[in-house]
Amino acid sequence: MPMNSFILQTFNGISYAALLFLLASGFTLTFGLMRIVNMAHGAYYLLGGYIGLAVARTTGNFGLALIAGGMAAALLGFIADKFLIKRAGENHLSQVLITVGLAYVVGDVVLKFWGGDAQKLPIPILMRGVVELPGGIVYPVFRFFLTSIGVLVALLLWLLYRKTQIGAAIRAGVDDREMVSATGINVDRLFVIVSALASFLAGFSGVLGGAFLTVYPGAEWEILVFALVVVIVGGLGSLEGAMIGALIVGLLDAYGRWLVPEMSYFVLFGPMAVLLLFRPRGLFGTANMS
Amino acid sequence: MKQSIRITLILLAVALLLPLVASTYWVTLLTQVFIFGLLALSADLILGNAGLFSLCHAAFFAVAAYTTAILSVRYGFTSISAIPAGIFAGTILGCIYGLSVRTRGVYFILVTLAMGYIIWGVGYRWTALTGGDSGITNVPAPGIGAFQIENAIQFYYLVLFVVLLVMFAYYRLVNSPFGLALRGIKYGEPRMHSLGFRPARHLYLAFVISSFIASLSGVLYVYLNRFVNPVAASLHNNVEAVLMAIVGGSGTLLGPFIGAAMVLGLRNWVSTFFEMHLAIMGLVFIAVVIWAPGGVIGLLRRIGSNKQG
Repeated sequence: MPMNSFILQTFNGISYAALLFLLASGFTLTFGLMRIVNMAHGAYYLLGGYIGLAVARTTGNFGLALIAGGMAAALLGFIADKFLIKRAGENHLSQVLITVGLAYVVGDVVLKFWGGDAQKLPIPILMRGVVELPGGIVYPVFRFFLTSIGVLVALLLWLLYRKTQIGAAIRAGVDDREMVSATGINVDRLFVIVSALASFLAGFSGVLGGAFLTVYPGAEWEILVFALVVVIVGGLGSLEGAMIGALIVGLLDAYGRWLVPEMSYFVLFGPMAVLLLFRPRGLFGTANMS
Repeated sequence: MKQSIRITLILLAVALLLPLVASTYWVTLLTQVFIFGLLALSADLILGNAGLFSLCHAAFFAVAAYTTAILSVRYGFTSISAIPAGIFAGTILGCIYGLSVRTRGVYFILVTLAMGYIIWGVGYRWTALTGGDSGITNVPAPGIGAFQIENAIQFYYLVLFVVLLVMFAYYRLVNSPFGLALRGIKYGEPRMHSLGFRPARHLYLAFVISSFIASLSGVLYVYLNRFVNPVAASLHNNVEAVLMAIVGGSGTLLGPFIGAAMVLGLRNWVSTFFEMHLAIMGLVFIAVVIWAPGGVIGLLRRIGSNKQG
């Protein structure tokens, strides 16, 4: 039944979008605030996934796994910012090189510890079942959980970004960092907060992704490329852009895999490349980003 | 100036004479270095001269390799038609992807990354055409009429010949008014605009030329390995092409080849006793950015100028 498949794929797309948003929101905010291209975001995701896996297996507590994965990534992110990324200065090229190098190191260390096979995080018993929707559609509970977390985090981030003092400072920093510094706000300290939040979310999404898609060495690059597409379609530095971008990318990917499995990457990346050629700053980006 | 000519002649003599003394292992490794050096050089044409950091040059490399492989394995094309067809296909893709020069800075990096990923995806998923994960195997050795490449040493000399030809052309290109204009764009695009140049056209042309060089190296690659799979178009390959150029010394003629030698040599050497060679590569990239941003050539120049001063 094509209608049911369509609804099913729509759900798939939305749940993948939720996962992508968690990863992409951090990337876009750190770029917006400090103009840092952090290609190690995928590595944070991977580390979070494996730490979450270890914690979930030993304690059996999925909530604890989520926190542990997030914290591990936040710690790695903090160290990376303090000792490595800072050295690159404003040069995007150096930033890319350093963070790719870091991602290589993390990927290889993870491979050494956990091996090369894809592993699935144990899903809590409560979320193992399926939901039966009207029309005979059966859908896993866990994906609804993932989607709700994505929406919840999006909402919280949006409130933080739009309705609080810190959010106002971040938004101002995205627009004009020097002016914000001049008003007495410590942009560096602000950046530490944003960056910690971003890497926490990346690790957190790694745990969710590990339960949703499995974790394996190499997963970090696959998801990173998708998250980057989300970020550029939405516009670098824009939180709302990351939300819309995640939805577009998640849905296009799901429909693409369903309708034209052999060409699914083209369905996703083709329109993106065309969009960027004619609107390089993405849907919601501002002109002064480079 | 005289010194650099002397060094060039010494290197050339070593490259020419090496197969006489080295084992097949070393000859093959060096062939690989030349091929990847060529890919790194192609990416560095626009990075080192125009300041554009491309993450899609392995796409041209892979498309050329796949085209040559598919035509010769499935349709029985001989080298004389399969090679130009491969180079043509890669360059056509370069003409399309070249539109990316409309963007700058981080957008260029990300757009090229996504474009490069399309080719990987096609290679991986479109199994009917590309053979999917296992790729195209049993590619016949290159040869034209009576001239058949029969062993690693002959292939080495073929690759060396192509590399020298490209290096010569590349040298002429970057020292021409066109090359000067490219560097002008790198250091001050608005100024080049007001001088009456059209930076977009220069960058587009440079991009297409660089995709041509990448395609050339892709064809050599498929003949070296006799197979091609999606790894050729992978993100790692895209990233490494640029990293090799930077490790050796971006914006120089020899740098990309030195970088390729370092990266491939290190990988081959490290993997004999330590399985985490990717981590070692990562550390090398970090170290280069932090301590030797000019790469090996930059380091040598710095030592040289310290001695003089």
